Amino acid sequence: MKTSKGVKRRRVEKDGDAVVATKLRKEFGGLVAVSGLDLSIPKGTLYGMIGPNGSGKTTAIKMIVGRLRQTSGGARVLGEDSPLSARLADIGYMPQEMAIYTDLTVSENLQLFGSLYSMEREAYIKREEALLSMVDLSERRDSLVSQLSGGMKHRASLACAMIHDPEVLFLDEPTVGVDPELRVGFWQNFADLKARGKTIIITTHYMDEASRCDIVGMMRQGKLIAEGRPEELMERTSTSNLEDAFLEYSWRDSV
Amino acid sequence: MKWTRVLAIARKTLRSLKHDRRTVGFLVLMPLFMITIFGYTFGGSIKDVSVVVVNLDESDGNSSAAEAVLAELRAGGILKVERVYLLDPETDGYLGATDQAALVGSAVSEVESGDAWAAIVFWGNFTENVAQSVEDIGSVPTGGPGTITVYIDASNSNIAQAVMGEVRLTVQEVVVSEYHVLPPITVAEDRVYGEGAEFIDFFAPGVMGLAAMMVTFMLSIISFVHERSTGTLDRLLTTPATEGEIVAGYALALGLVGLIQSTVILVTAVALFQVQIVGSPLLVLLIIFVLGAGNQGLGFLLSSNAKNEFQAVQFMPIILFPSILLAGVFWPIEAVPDLLRPVSYFVPLTYAVEGCRSVMVRGWGLGDVWLQLAVLVGFAAVMLLLSALSLKKRR
Ligand SMILES: Nc1ncnc2c1ncn2[C@@H]1O[C@H](COP(=O)(O)OP(=O)(O)OP(=O)(O)O)[C@@H](O)[C@H]1O
Ligand SMILES: [Mg+2]
Repeated sequence: MKTSKGVKRRRVEKDGDAVVATKLRKEFGGLVAVSGLDLSIPKGTLYGMIGPNGSGKTTAIKMIVGRLRQTSGGARVLGEDSPLSARLADIGYMPQEMAIYTDLTVSENLQLFGSLYSMEREAYIKREEALLSMVDLSERRDSLVSQLSGGMKHRASLACAMIHDPEVLFLDEPTVGVDPELRVGFWQNFADLKARGKTIIITTHYMDEASRCDIVGMMRQGKLIAEGRPEELMERTSTSNLEDAFLEYSWRDSV
Repeated sequence: MKWTRVLAIARKTLRSLKHDRRTVGFLVLMPLFMITIFGYTFGGSIKDVSVVVVNLDESDGNSSAAEAVLAELRAGGILKVERVYLLDPETDGYLGATDQAALVGSAVSEVESGDAWAAIVFWGNFTENVAQSVEDIGSVPTGGPGTITVYIDASNSNIAQAVMGEVRLTVQEVVVSEYHVLPPITVAEDRVYGEGAEFIDFFAPGVMGLAAMMVTFMLSIISFVHERSTGTLDRLLTTPATEGEIVAGYALALGLVGLIQSTVILVTAVALFQVQIVGSPLLVLLIIFVLGAGNQGLGFLLSSNAKNEFQAVQFMPIILFPSILLAGVFWPIEAVPDLLRPVSYFVPLTYAVEGCRSVMVRGWGLGDVWLQLAVLVGFAAVMLLLSALSLKKRR
């Protein structure tokens, strides 16, 4: 139980952290998906995780929200050790796979999640309206999810993760397949949430999105190879965009 | 355990069923189909069984006992007399032993070839022997009784029993009506339960349990394999919904599906086959609901061992066959071989069928079927508990 004590001490030091990971590690058979990940993400941060396919982003998030058992190490969200129980009401999670009910309508999906978070009826109705207009699905609220386009399904899934206006949002590639115009709208919304003190952890493969984050963590082979504000990362590598910065860090990591 | 969340899960499960028209159709029509098919095949009584008759009796006309029995057999309706082999009138009733054997031989060959189920032979001196035996009543018999031999194809024991029963009964009747001899002993039947009950009354409760069990198990295992593979289950578990609430929500939804099906079966059975429900239909539905909830749990447990829908379906026969064969759906548990009988008592359907049958045919109440209900509640509780626990285990 050494690690959990370590985490506790850390929390006392930095009470403002929404998400903390300590030497988080996951092996699948012989494959190391995440190897010793340390994170501390202060409340009110828009945190971007980038890294190539298979670098362990999804695995790390799943362990933090408690859906995957870590091989070793630990994670805490809002002061509770993973797997969470009391704090589940305060987090929202949009998995990378669609993970909404395709045999229900958009609105029925939202209602399900709204009820699971025990939302009041009035609050829920207001919230549903706002979210549907944010993801531009107001017109399609009564369509079965299976009949939506790929990008629309992603949008519906995002809305489900945000229905209860959670303190901490884990969004695993929320903008995949979403058209540019809506993406701009999404990021505006994320910025608003942040301004209201919410914490958002986002994975993405779009560098322009990453550069809108407060802090970017670069993952490679299950490790964090660099972390900092986007300008900082570019400055330290003398590059002009995050893509080049990532390549530079990758190269440094491999030698 | 928060009921609003249980209800939310139940509602979403029923809603996704509702959107799938074909599945809704299946859920309603399958039990309808089952009870109708079973009802028409097993429900009817045996009639028009093809038989041939050999009449070697030397007395003929009004005095012939053989003719009297034959006429009664024809009138009964259970047997259909295709052909009667008679003595050659030209030889004035007399035939040598070889010719008699040949006559019987051709009748039996009709049974052998499958054209008739039985060959009924009235031997020579039939009437004479019957009359003599009647005269001898009360004193030392001077000869043998009139003899009828039935050469029977007993490959179908139901038919064989029906034929033998009909012949015996007819003979008794003729003895009374023609010779005015009353049998000295009669056995009276007074039904304690099942007044007017037929075979369909026996198996309708079984079919009901079977349909509910099949469908709740199938829906449960397929739904959960789907929930696992699409990641929705993981997502549900990142909300405040607990494992217990998710499992309870599903149990509630699928229990209701079982209820709807049982209602379809009950209504069909009553309307189409005049099945009687002596006890409370609500108690029957309660039993089915608990059975459905338990099977939902069983389906859930097995779903964690299936990687996809295809593997899930492979569990169906494993669960289904013991239930169909050993739970007393179509034949009583008393007919299950000793070796397998203990297995019957481990099949939950056994208790559901027994419970429903007792309520429907015997008119028993809650106080009489509490044991069956308790076993089912126990089964459901254990299944749902294990399901919730198995959800707690993370990869
Ligand atoms: N259930 C699993 N069983 C075995 N290996 C797995 C499993 N899940 C993930 N992995 C492996 O773990 C590694 C990290 O996967 P992960 O999904 O975390 O990557 P990612 O960074 O999210 O990639 P992407 O950008 O493609 O989403 C990969 O090599 C993957 O094959
Ligand atoms: Mg991923």
